[in-house]
Amino acid sequence: MKPPPFDYAAPERLDEAIGLLAGELDAKVLAGGQSLVPLLSMRLAYPDLLVDLRRIAGLDMISESDGRLAIGAMVRQLHAETSDTVATRCPLVVEALRQVAHPQIRARGTVGGSIAHADPAGELPAVAVALDARARVRGPGGERLVAAADLYTGTFTTSLGDAEIVCAVEFPLADDGAGAACVEVARRQGDYALCGAVAQVSTADGLVADARLALFGVADRPVRAAVAEAELRETPVRAAAAVAATKVADEIPFRDDPQLPAGYRRQVAVVSARRAIAQALEAAA
Amino acid sequence: MSSHTITVTVNGVARSEDVEARLTLADLLRERLDLTATHLGCEHGVCGACTVIVDGDAVRSCTTLAVQADGAQILTLEGVAADGEELHPVQQAFWEKHGMQCGFCTPGIVMSLVELLEREPDLSEGAIREVLGGHLCRCTGYVKIREAAEEAVRLMREAS
Amino acid sequence: MTGVVGAPLKRKEDPRLLRGDGRYLADLKAHGMLAAVVVRSPHPHAWIRSVDASAAREDQRTLAVLTAADLPELPPLPCIDAEETTRPFNQRVLASDKVRYVGEPVAVVVAADRYVAEDLAELVVVDYEPLPAVADAERAMEPGATILHEETNVCDTLEYRIGDPDAAFESAPHVLTERFTTQRYAGMPMETRGAIADWDPRTETITLTSSTQVPNSVKRDICESLKLRESRVRVLVPDVGGAFGVKIQTYPEEILLCLLARRLGRPVKWVEDRWEHIVASTHGREQFHDVEVAYDPDGRVRAIRDRCVTNTGAYLQRLTLVEPFIGVSMLTGPYDITDFQATAHVVMTNKAPMNPFRGVGHVQAAFTMERIIDTIARELGLDPADVRMRNVIAAEDLPRARGLGNVLAGEIVYDSGDYAECLRRALALSRYDEFRAGQEEQRRRGRLVGIGIGAFVEETGLGPYEMGSIRLEPSGQIVVHTGACTSGQGHLTTLAQIAADTLGVDPDDVDVRYGDTDLVRWGVGTYASRTAAIGGTAVRNAAVVVREQALRIASTMLEAAGSDLQLTSGRIGIVGSPAGPSVSLGDVAAAVAPGQSLPEGVDSYGVEATDVFHPETNTFAYGVHVSKVEVDPETGIVTLLEHHVVNDSGTVINPLVLEGQVQGGVAFGIGGALLEEVVYDDDAQPRNPNFMDYLLPGDDNVPDITVEHMAIPTPLNPDGIKGGGEGGAVGAPAAIANAVADAIAPGRVTATPITPARVFAAMADAGLVKPEG
Repeated sequence: MKPPPFDYAAPERLDEAIGLLAGELDAKVLAGGQSLVPLLSMRLAYPDLLVDLRRIAGLDMISESDGRLAIGAMVRQLHAETSDTVATRCPLVVEALRQVAHPQIRARGTVGGSIAHADPAGELPAVAVALDARARVRGPGGERLVAAADLYTGTFTTSLGDAEIVCAVEFPLADDGAGAACVEVARRQGDYALCGAVAQVSTADGLVADARLALFGVADRPVRAAVAEAELRETPVRAAAAVAATKVADEIPFRDDPQLPAGYRRQVAVVSARRAIAQALEAAA
Repeated sequence: MSSHTITVTVNGVARSEDVEARLTLADLLRERLDLTATHLGCEHGVCGACTVIVDGDAVRSCTTLAVQADGAQILTLEGVAADGEELHPVQQAFWEKHGMQCGFCTPGIVMSLVELLEREPDLSEGAIREVLGGHLCRCTGYVKIREAAEEAVRLMREAS
Repeated sequence: MTGVVGAPLKRKEDPRLLRGDGRYLADLKAHGMLAAVVVRSPHPHAWIRSVDASAAREDQRTLAVLTAADLPELPPLPCIDAEETTRPFNQRVLASDKVRYVGEPVAVVVAADRYVAEDLAELVVVDYEPLPAVADAERAMEPGATILHEETNVCDTLEYRIGDPDAAFESAPHVLTERFTTQRYAGMPMETRGAIADWDPRTETITLTSSTQVPNSVKRDICESLKLRESRVRVLVPDVGGAFGVKIQTYPEEILLCLLARRLGRPVKWVEDRWEHIVASTHGREQFHDVEVAYDPDGRVRAIRDRCVTNTGAYLQRLTLVEPFIGVSMLTGPYDITDFQATAHVVMTNKAPMNPFRGVGHVQAAFTMERIIDTIARELGLDPADVRMRNVIAAEDLPRARGLGNVLAGEIVYDSGDYAECLRRALALSRYDEFRAGQEEQRRRGRLVGIGIGAFVEETGLGPYEMGSIRLEPSGQIVVHTGACTSGQGHLTTLAQIAADTLGVDPDDVDVRYGDTDLVRWGVGTYASRTAAIGGTAVRNAAVVVREQALRIASTMLEAAGSDLQLTSGRIGIVGSPAGPSVSLGDVAAAVAPGQSLPEGVDSYGVEATDVFHPETNTFAYGVHVSKVEVDPETGIVTLLEHHVVNDSGTVINPLVLEGQVQGGVAFGIGGALLEEVVYDDDAQPRNPNFMDYLLPGDDNVPDITVEHMAIPTPLNPDGIKGGGEGGAVGAPAAIANAVADAIAPGRVTATPITPARVFAAMADAGLVKPEG
């Protein structure tokens, strides 16, 4: 299982990288490589050129501004997971990253890579969708911000152009005292989950003040449980988990799954959502 | 198909090699540098047998391209205890506790534990289990690997 | 050194491996070495209209291409356990007219390295005409099913009958009817297969270095296949990273490499990648049992009828009939059931071929029988432990001839043991009664916890023979040659312990060598839990002869009668005279080295002996596993809480090594029970040929495993060793399945893998849970 032949470039400037991606050759972005290199080894992809982002300055910063936490695309997942800043400002990112594969993968995998890879069973895309994150993207047409809600269009598919690169992902700062949780159902630790849920909640006076909830592994993209979120606001904390479960069961159009008995994926998705809300509430101050 | 000159420092020795872009770090180590203790069990990043330490992090060498490692400091199993040197506490612990059988997955596990325990010798069992979770073993059933990891912690604590 | 057998010594092989000085097949390099890549069928069933390798051949990077048309006349790969009734559905080295499974070798390409060879393999164009494929064994048996070979897909039907089951069924008050299904899964060692062939024109010899368990039979197969004489083929074995049965035969690649090396005059290496391994190395286990069980109100089983179907894949392999045979013949396990009838159909489908791997046939037999016991217990409102106790063969009734022939030779005779005592100890070890006492309370709190027992008996210590040679060196070193072929079982230590025990030396002074057919010409290899029992006995017997020789030489050297001598700590001295004259074993060897006359009464040079031990028949190890589980009622996820084993492998050479074998086997069993499956879709396309989707157990899937050794010696070899490499894999799935069934009662468990979705469905069917929403 050796990769097919390809060219490789590691430009030092972003516009050079964009130029290569926009060029004649069939080019792919190489970030951490933890998703791409196995695909190449299995010869499931035959790009002409890999454009490695590792030498481009400024893609590996974590910074706060305008009520958002910007995590550079090349920030290693392990670095984000163990960052005090991320833990305080965006705890859901940390909770989700802890479930991604294994530490040895997270040492190379990048935040931007995960976001751009658009794995329907991926934790980070679900976090982006739940929190209304946005991707700061650069391409031949310049820089733009893409809302997470507009980013994911299908299995491993985003709305990004071929030559567009995710430079950073901006997450809204969590409310003080917000609790976050990522719950997934998997048969082994670190596996691709059967499905799961990410949740972030803040409370006030025994009521849910704000709730964010999204599911992964239930469709061809992460699914925001917007109806559940709306219902959860102002719900007493005691009742919140059950409310989440009921609403998710109603609102999410679970696809039929040839690999699993009817209704099973729905079952574990609803359970994950309920448990994620419950755990997030426990973590909330 | 492009060729690149890269420089890597492996087990303290700087090496300059011309490589194809598609050469994996694992194959750079195994085929070019004759460091074959790093094993290939799956070549898609799951089994962990290929784990080495790159710039201080335990990573999969099978899902890293050699070109991505240009300029990196790399430690493989061969560099943990040189010939004639005492075994590292992790290695010693595996021997004491029968933590290996066929030995194929062992290098990767040793590297992951060396990285973890050198970084933080005082560790929760949870941290060790999380790191072990990134390795597949078909022989031992893991029980003695866990015991070896605990013994390694104990040996390192004793030594310090 | 007394006490060295039975001592939990650290392994001699470890420091080298820990330092990174292992030499597995893929690590080996040779001057001028080339890389081969196999072109494999992407279709499960198709005619081969043509193979066009011209583009590959024209490429200047190609050193050779072989297709079926380029091969000399080669016999098909052998199936040595075929009966007269077995249809000759054997595999050819390369497919010529037809391919019958995805992954079947069609051509081989050689280049300077693997990367380039894979590029060139893509240039080989095969014109396939796809045929309908069949994946399901029952479908394959139906009239009108697509036929893989000729006439029928039923390769063989084995029939067994003991006693009078029909009479028992007629009078039985209760009958249970059920189908128990075991899925297809595989040994899946961490190291895939691989081999290097090299032709030496000076000696006109092919040397094949192969990651194999059976170097001597690989040699024999190459000699036969390529029509070469014994001295022209040598097979070497490097460090092997796990084998488990997947490496117990000669595969097409090994023969192709020999042809290529001969043709090219350069070493040619092939290393299997994981995709290839999952689709093309042998699988096992896929078998269901339709059983009828006649039983009494007290749970006593009167008779069993079993219709068993094994989905064996596209071709016969070396030992393909073992799985169907053991699946039925060992069904009754440790139980006193003497009215029994079984029919075992062996069915070809368009999946990869099956061949025995760790636990072969016993796993399905134990799963079926143990689920039967628990199901009967539940029906009758009895505790499954009590039902077992009522049914086990009493210790005083052993040895017990089962009345069934053995697949390779002889008859099945349970030789030794105490099943009831083993069960008692397992219940005590696992605190079974305590668990039962607290279980109701746990259920009331909404915790679905369960406890399950898995008892089994398994064939171990298989013949036909094994070779052991020992010689003394003047330095005092003892060199052992064994036909065993290790892949992680610690033989270099355990066999050294045996030799050291007889010769009164430190095991560190014993050097165990293996894996070279020039050195070990009558070896058989390691599989079927045979090395300690058979290989160890050969070493023991040879050591005894060497000891006698040494004493005789020493008696001349010391001028004392043999009966006055003792051998301790490597020295031979006179009994009762500790400070008196003595000679070391090295001195003894030096005294009979050539270049001098032999001592009085000694008639040959050297001190060495070879034993080729032919066991009368094989032994039967056994054990009882107890599993405790908790089932998440909302997701069906099974968490293993504890696992306990009482295992009788007879005399224990090294308890640390044996414990490791049992624990490793249990992990296999956990995989088989809950996680692993080689999945094919209805069109026989493999669906999960990678480690993301083929789920091997990880650390978090395996709980603490306690192992207690019962060591009732077998009378079949002087040390009383039965063999312990496989039991873990046999008892665990049965225990886990029973524990899950216990946790979700009245939900049923009749198939593995026991996936969360299946568990949830079983709970929902039983009304235990209601789906959300």
